[in-house]
Amino acid sequence: MKDNVLATIQDLRIDVRVTRRIRLRIVDTASLTIQKGQLLGLIGESGSGKTMLCRALVGTLNRRGAYIESGSIDFEGIDLVKAKKKDWRNIRGHKIGYIPQSALAGPNPVMRIGAQLAEAINQSGKKPSDEVRRRALELLELVQIRRPEVVLKQYPYELSGGMKQRVMIACAIAQNPKLIVADEPTTGLDVTVQAEIMELLRSIRKEFDTSIILVSHDLQLINSVCDDIVVMHAGATIEKVPSSKVTAALHPYTHALYDSRIDLVEPRGKLRTIKGQPPSVGKWPTGCRFADRCDFVKDVCRTTDPTPFAQVNENQWSACIRHKEIYGGAK
Amino acid sequence: MKLKLNTPLGRKIFGRTIRAFSISFWVMVIAFALMRVTPGDPASARLGAGAEEEAIEALREQLGLNVNPFQQFINYIRDLSQGDLGTSLVSGLPVGEIISKTFPLTLTYIAFSFFFAFLISIPIGVLIGWSNKASWVYSFRTFTSVVIATPNFFIAMVAILFFSVQRDWAPVFGYEPGFPGNMKYLWLPIAINTLILVSIISRVLLASVIDTRSEEFVETGIIRGVSRIRFFWFYILKPSLAPTIVLMSYMAGTMLGATVILETIFSLPGIGRELVGAVLASDYPVVQGILIFFGVITVFLSFFGDLFAYLLDRRVKL
Repeated sequence: MKDNVLATIQDLRIDVRVTRRIRLRIVDTASLTIQKGQLLGLIGESGSGKTMLCRALVGTLNRRGAYIESGSIDFEGIDLVKAKKKDWRNIRGHKIGYIPQSALAGPNPVMRIGAQLAEAINQSGKKPSDEVRRRALELLELVQIRRPEVVLKQYPYELSGGMKQRVMIACAIAQNPKLIVADEPTTGLDVTVQAEIMELLRSIRKEFDTSIILVSHDLQLINSVCDDIVVMHAGATIEKVPSSKVTAALHPYTHALYDSRIDLVEPRGKLRTIKGQPPSVGKWPTGCRFADRCDFVKDVCRTTDPTPFAQVNENQWSACIRHKEIYGGAK
Repeated sequence: MKLKLNTPLGRKIFGRTIRAFSISFWVMVIAFALMRVTPGDPASARLGAGAEEEAIEALREQLGLNVNPFQQFINYIRDLSQGDLGTSLVSGLPVGEIISKTFPLTLTYIAFSFFFAFLISIPIGVLIGWSNKASWVYSFRTFTSVVIATPNFFIAMVAILFFSVQRDWAPVFGYEPGFPGNMKYLWLPIAINTLILVSIISRVLLASVIDTRSEEFVETGIIRGVSRIRFFWFYILKPSLAPTIVLMSYMAGTMLGATVILETIFSLPGIGRELVGAVLASDYPVVQGILIFFGVITVFLSFFGDLFAYLLDRRVKL
């Protein structure tokens, strides 16, 4: 099991520079491991730090004024936290692919699809050779784009949202990376296209044995495709659970997320929501950050600090200190 | 590039060409009408206060003013379609000749100003925009606001005081044709124009670069690890340039109007000063001709500006 691990994020803390003096912590104690060939779902509300975690994995925190304060990201024996520009050059694209958040703004609007694919295939960006062109067509076919010869010559504005995202997926897998980071890849797409993209990611994982980190705020959507789900709340990872056992989660927040599914509501019934808002960045309380919204809160929840993220059983982790008490210490 | 009319692009260009011509037509109508509604009769103005009625009437007939304005317009358009812009009432020279004599000077310093302004604006806009450092952006915006808010004739006068009167770096007025001799007289107007243009152009470019900077596709470009030069062009400049191009083509038209002031201050024998002289002398064929010339240039420049911006960045609506 151990040597099957592709990447490990350990106690990651990410700060962002607001002004010269003021720093805000936006990710605090995030930990997760991803195995080779695993499809890992990363879920959380807006502002929970999932996107920042993704950016840490592809090394683009810096341009948003954010940086890793402490912690480590081990990727195949390389610590990405300490990686230099030169190291990143060998990692990005080659070993870690990235599918951007917004399908609509993902592809470069001033480049033809063919040129972008050529860039992804061959980073030097030299004049596309026949070989590059063949590979580009192959990639487009792989992501199930019809008439790839036509699409190669098109600009992004001529494509639909779903097609744009397929192109972005094609770019991400161009060099057969070991890990693909997909940051909410279905935002802004309609439901049927969302399902197609999910299916595509799953088939890519199967075919190339690629690990995929799939970020979403929609538990329902990713639960059906992912192996494991990691839940983030207010900058911390709070639970890791196999997707088959989401109903047996060991953190009240995961349950709350799961229960607020629209499809569970009877027609004209009341939609279950999570009360309150997640604490805003910079105003995190001591103790459990979910305490104010939790139905099971006790005084001890507010005093134990920091929230520990501990392994409960072979494949389940929880940050809830009272999970035994609440869920009867699941087997 | 071979233009086919049955492609979407071809249709768009065709539509825009039609539009450019129809706007040019309206420019003519307005230039023509403006000269008719301004008070004063060119014929009596030419002959002076004590002129006899018959003499005035004869001159009116000679100038084609004895028919109604509508017929005058028809005649004017007819002459125009044959390349005849009319003749000056003062010098008796064809208006076309006056324009071709005075415009090269104006074109020279406008072209130089735009060339330098473009060269300077790009590094400024990209560097400050890409750094997105609040202090830099703020100081830059403050400085350019001051330049934009100051009337250009005032900048010109201060510059003359400083460079021509206090130091002998530029002649106060005068002109001698022919390169490079003319640069002695033109460098100061060019510098002033460039300063004003840079303030406007680089502001727009800066704003676009800041917008581009936060776009998702830039992230993918970084992650893709494209080379520095490719990144600079395809991920920073090219996606940011369209508004700047559109603005510059539009500014080129506006600049023609500004030449009136600048050429008067520097007493340069360009088309702007010619226009002022013609207005003062009620030399309406010249005024009309120059206004139409300016109008058509402006319309077609903005057409080419839009087209170029579209070819650069397909998000531009043509």
